[in-house]
Amino acid sequence: MEHLLEQIAHCIEFGKVNEAASYPPEMKGQPGADEWTLTALQQGFSPEDILQKGFIRGMDRVGEKFAAHQIFVPQMLLSAKAMTTAMRHLQPFFQSGEAKKRGTFVIGTVAGDLHEIGKNLAGMMIAGNGWDVIDLGKDVKTERFAETVRQHPGCAVGLSALLTTTMEHMADTVNALKKEFPGLRILVGGAPVNAAFCSEIGADFYAANPQTAVQYLKEISVQ
Amino acid sequence: MTAKERVRIAMQGGIPDRVPVMCQLAAGHYFLYSGIDPLDIWYTTEGFAEALIAMQERYQFDGILVNMHGRPAQWSAFLDRIEDRGREKWLFWKNGDYTVFPPDDNPHYFKTDGSSGCPTFEEIDPDRLYYVEPWQISGISYPFCWDFGEERPKDDFFPPYINDSLKRVIDRVGDRVSVHGEVFSPFSQFLELLNYEDALMGLLVDPDKAHACLSALTKGTIELGILEARCRADAVLISSAFAGSGFISRELYREFVLPYEQQVVQGIQAVADVPVYTHTCGGIGDRLDLMMETGTNGIDTLDPPPLGTVELEEAIAQTKGKVFIKGNLDAVNELLKGTPEDIARAVHKRLDIAKPGGGYILSTACSVAPKTAPERLEYMSQLGREFGTYP
Repeated sequence: MEHLLEQIAHCIEFGKVNEAASYPPEMKGQPGADEWTLTALQQGFSPEDILQKGFIRGMDRVGEKFAAHQIFVPQMLLSAKAMTTAMRHLQPFFQSGEAKKRGTFVIGTVAGDLHEIGKNLAGMMIAGNGWDVIDLGKDVKTERFAETVRQHPGCAVGLSALLTTTMEHMADTVNALKKEFPGLRILVGGAPVNAAFCSEIGADFYAANPQTAVQYLKEISVQ
Repeated sequence: MTAKERVRIAMQGGIPDRVPVMCQLAAGHYFLYSGIDPLDIWYTTEGFAEALIAMQERYQFDGILVNMHGRPAQWSAFLDRIEDRGREKWLFWKNGDYTVFPPDDNPHYFKTDGSSGCPTFEEIDPDRLYYVEPWQISGISYPFCWDFGEERPKDDFFPPYINDSLKRVIDRVGDRVSVHGEVFSPFSQFLELLNYEDALMGLLVDPDKAHACLSALTKGTIELGILEARCRADAVLISSAFAGSGFISRELYREFVLPYEQQVVQGIQAVADVPVYTHTCGGIGDRLDLMMETGTNGIDTLDPPPLGTVELEEAIAQTKGKVFIKGNLDAVNELLKGTPEDIARAVHKRLDIAKPGGGYILSTACSVAPKTAPERLEYMSQLGREFGTYP
């Protein structure tokens, strides 16, 4: 029976979305994460087990391989696509409370910045690790972050910036959010950002890659 | 020795009178510091050319990279109105689309509904691709159209004003300063056209179609490079973003980047005696050998850690005598945020490592960040001129 959950993890790890998907070529014609998740539910697996032993296990492997430079952005995007496609089957259980998310994570690219790929990868990895991710998109003004945090007490926030010009908006956003929500955990990431800058602007954690963000969120969610 | 000769010798791998100094500047830096109206810089051939020359003169750079193409003279005929919204200007076009124009960074064009207008991988037909210019004034479209115009046939694809900025800069300073044109690599165009993620997945999901797209874009890239060379550009830069290890593996580089950039280099040089060099930011420390396999004459950027992965000593060991190199100064941590002492240390370190034997151009790795104080660049350039001399 556990085999079924491993199939889900395997499909997510290798980016096999569904049976119709041609990638990866060696799994052509085989069921993907989409079908295996449906089968698992039909066979009575709990949504919690599917999430933990299928989705999170698969995305953990993806994150580890990405951090170790064994896979790159294209493979990771397909893994995330497999995960989000299959995750739709679990949504009703999250809504009913039968399955529980680890918490809520609000993510967005800061004001003035239209780059999304790093933010999207981080968001997908975090969602795949059992968090309810609210993706505010790109060019997100501080007030929109604040409004979302007000609506989701206890959430954590991730800010992304790819441009040196928008790093200062990141600093402004962190400053405003920390002022209104002193206990709020804020993660920052993006090409020009580093640990020193994170510390300088008063953010809590610099995520060099999506996997370190996942790890940090795991740590704070068990505290 | 003129600046033009200095850069030419360095690009040939030789030893000029001193190490040339030449940085690529972000558009926002011109907006903030050239004294020319940002709208004129972005939307007019004359404004951009004047900004390039003004900053070259201020920093005493030996070369200028003309990294935007000419603009149509009647651009304002497409404009409905401009509104000031906070720190930004919003330009509303007569077709209903709009552009958000920040004071210190590249403007971005949006369709009426706020979308980018990028097609999906499934929607595109490789036969309708030829060249994609992400920074033309009416944004990305499919099929690609220049500056609010109609789709143009492949045998008359590039509008007559395409190289007007390049020509203007060459006319003004080309007798003494090295002036370089720029083309986007087929891979960069492919990613820009599809808004990155769809393109990256497309490489794996339908590699045959991805190859067909890249092959089509290669033809247009070669034509544009030749046009630039015929304008008497001293070099043509292939802007090849997204091809570093932050995005794709060596294997994907070998399959989807290398063969097409190789064709671009060969295609331009088959008809024009002009150096062609390659700009890839981020992590390229693991693929300098593959970049050299393209036949490129030089490698630009060489971002050091933490922004990239290039250790200059190792890069020199791999490239010396094969290609010239340009860059390696950290545009963020050394130039933008470093102290004057940091800048001095950074320049001396690069000169100590890369100056011996020639073939090096002192430069920031990626573009100079918009808000880098001009005094810092002046200081960097002054150090380069003072300590870059050869006996």
